[in-house]
Amino acid sequence: MDRRRFLQDAAFWSLSWSLALHWPFSSTMSGSVAQAAPGNLFLAQVGMGKGQDYPQLVRQVVALVGGMTCFVKPGARVVIKPNIGFDRPPEMAATTHPLVVRTLAEMALEAGASQVRIFDRPCNEARRCYHNSGILPAIKAMDNSKVRCDYIDRRKFVTTTIPQGRVLKSWDIYRDALEADCYINVPVAKQHSRAGLSLGLKNGMGVLGGNRGQWHRQLEQNLADLATILRPTLTVIDATRMLLRNGPQGGNLRDVQINDTILASSDPVAADACATLLFGRSPDEIGTTVTAASMGLGTMQLNRIKRIAVP
Amino acid sequence: MKNHPRPILWRRLSQLLFLAVFLVLFLRTDYQGQDQLSGAVNLIFRIDPLVALAACLATRSFILLVLPAGFLLLSCLLLGRWFCGWACPMGTLLDASRTLTGSKAVTLPPTLPRIRYALLLLILVGALFGLPLVGYFDPFAILVRGLTMAIYPAAGMAIESLFTFTYQHGPAWLNLLTEPLYQLLRDTVLPFEQKLFTLALPAMLMLLALFVLEIFQRRCFCRTLCPLGALLGLAGRFAPWRIANRQPACHACGQCSTLCRTGAIDLQSQVNTERCILCLDCLSRCPNEHFAFGHGAKPPVPLAEGLSRRAFVGTTLTGITLPFMLAVRPFKRHPQPGLIRPPGALPEEQFLGRCVRCGECMQVCIGNALHPALTEAGVEGLFTPRLIPRIGYCEYQCTLCGQVCPTGAIQRLPAAAKQLTTIGRAFVDRDRCLPYAKGVPCIVCEELCPTPQKAIRFREVSVQNELGETVRVKQPYVIDELCIGCGICENKCPLPGRSAILVTSAGESRLQKAIAKDSYSKP
Repeated sequence: MDRRRFLQDAAFWSLSWSLALHWPFSSTMSGSVAQAAPGNLFLAQVGMGKGQDYPQLVRQVVALVGGMTCFVKPGARVVIKPNIGFDRPPEMAATTHPLVVRTLAEMALEAGASQVRIFDRPCNEARRCYHNSGILPAIKAMDNSKVRCDYIDRRKFVTTTIPQGRVLKSWDIYRDALEADCYINVPVAKQHSRAGLSLGLKNGMGVLGGNRGQWHRQLEQNLADLATILRPTLTVIDATRMLLRNGPQGGNLRDVQINDTILASSDPVAADACATLLFGRSPDEIGTTVTAASMGLGTMQLNRIKRIAVP
Repeated sequence: MKNHPRPILWRRLSQLLFLAVFLVLFLRTDYQGQDQLSGAVNLIFRIDPLVALAACLATRSFILLVLPAGFLLLSCLLLGRWFCGWACPMGTLLDASRTLTGSKAVTLPPTLPRIRYALLLLILVGALFGLPLVGYFDPFAILVRGLTMAIYPAAGMAIESLFTFTYQHGPAWLNLLTEPLYQLLRDTVLPFEQKLFTLALPAMLMLLALFVLEIFQRRCFCRTLCPLGALLGLAGRFAPWRIANRQPACHACGQCSTLCRTGAIDLQSQVNTERCILCLDCLSRCPNEHFAFGHGAKPPVPLAEGLSRRAFVGTTLTGITLPFMLAVRPFKRHPQPGLIRPPGALPEEQFLGRCVRCGECMQVCIGNALHPALTEAGVEGLFTPRLIPRIGYCEYQCTLCGQVCPTGAIQRLPAAAKQLTTIGRAFVDRDRCLPYAKGVPCIVCEELCPTPQKAIRFREVSVQNELGETVRVKQPYVIDELCIGCGICENKCPLPGRSAILVTSAGESRLQKAIAKDSYSKP
């Protein structure tokens, strides 16, 4: 390729790409309605579906974004990171639904994973959270030696530098998460008064060691910085039940809305942005989403996200 | 000297068995994946007649929890101090330590063993008049406390450090061996979380002292100090089945007298049932096999070591008067703000009377929140449980401390009742709290407040931060009616050092004596 050819090509592609991004003729309407736009304009896909059979729903939704074989290669070491943060039963919507976690583990095995590790660093006492969230019993019931739901082992936190971090330069991060070939983030969608909503990016806090409370001072930037080194291969947002008030742990069924919805995406920011709509809020109200998008970690513009619903 | 080890073998087997049961129960005094515990080490206190008597006297009521103690006392009425020789885990450990402590065999004054009666009397009289002493002398309390606060955490720490070293610095082949072993230990004996205790050293020293005494004499604690042994011995004075020298024509070679580990055999080779713990050494070792166990042929030897009248009256008076000296300190009327008792704790007076200071609540406390008090509850409150939120908080759904308390000093509460029990209240220190003091967002406390309606809420306000910028922050405040004082806010406050939200015992829901300053008002 000579210089002239290079310049021509560069000019052509940048022009067409910028036209594609800022297509002056496409409608600029915003809102929660999925927009009809040519497929090549989309930067991210989010699969979502509604249904009461959660295992089936998880399979359908993940199939929409390519299926588990896209994310888990044979022999891969898979980490599934649910929210087991609080000592609450599943119906309180403070933790990820055990059936969702279990189905993902099964799917990872079917895709050929050599091992599946499930863990979270809870805010309440770990054993109570693991048991009462129903996640540990559900995984134990699988009775598969490749799948383990272990408590956090304090020895496994590795001080990791974050080269692209703007405020976060280094932190203790759980080794299993860092070494995973496939990191599946499975947050539960809930209200959180500091972050606005606790979704996929916020769920990343479960891999942190040390005094995590300090993160709250610059929560949005810290979470985005973390996502630069620990980007989920797949984000599955559990909105089967949504905690609308008194989050992130709730404790009262009146604050819980049954929504029977699950979202999946390989773009962590797009997944969060679409889940935000379920709360009747706009993605640009949620600081964590906005900051992560501004760092180039994913797409939050709804007209750039291809939303595919389960038929 | 002939040896017939068979009876001794049986005794050792029984000792080992009881020790094993005790240790298993001790390890099971922990969250087991269910809200209700099945079988904890409190069993050993519930069969302890000394604890039972003291607790009942202190509250002047019959405590159903300690009913099993009656059976032990009954068995001792028939068999004498069999428990001390065959079952007591403290005694077993003292026997086992014999090889370590060596045998100095110092001659101590023969009147020394009377102390145990004085102690027993002081404990019982004190309990009745409001001087709780049983926890400082009861062998189980000393043992469980030492294990809970010092030995178990320290052993856990040692093992964990070893495996942390092999994990972080060892080669891969070594980890293939050590990691499964570590996992096995974690699943069986190691504590789930490394606990810390404020009085680890005093608790350990107290337990160690019993082993140090063993250097001077075998079973020195058991024969001279143990008030439980004294009580069981009193019960066994007229035991129909006992060990006795059945040969009137014994030539009293005196071997048995030096052999006996509790000094129960005098120079005439007669057995004192108040001291005899039925260890059966004399049965096996008497060259002429003069000793036998069976239905008593002879009347028991007369009481040789009862208290003199002077000692009796003196001890009783001490037990009666001392409580009144203790009652005239200010905190008896104005509760200490830093003294947060576990949820379900009885009103302070009754709590002090019933609490055995065994540390079981601290062993079981899932958040390492309960710690032994030093003088926060007065000298008589030494080793009683106290919540220190900055070290650990009270887990909202957990009710374990009430389940293991052997005497009901901490009442067993259903989870719903516990969640409505106020043990204290939080307040925000606005000089330190970030949104107030620095204009920096935080509200970790609000996030973690476990009450469903949130006892910690926030106001969203515009303030100037340190750079002079106007920013929106959420400033937390506490709703007193909803706060139960669990302390998770103080515990998790991300500020280094002192928390910016603090819990004091003010507003606790257990009944208090009148605290009005004029001291005329009734509760």
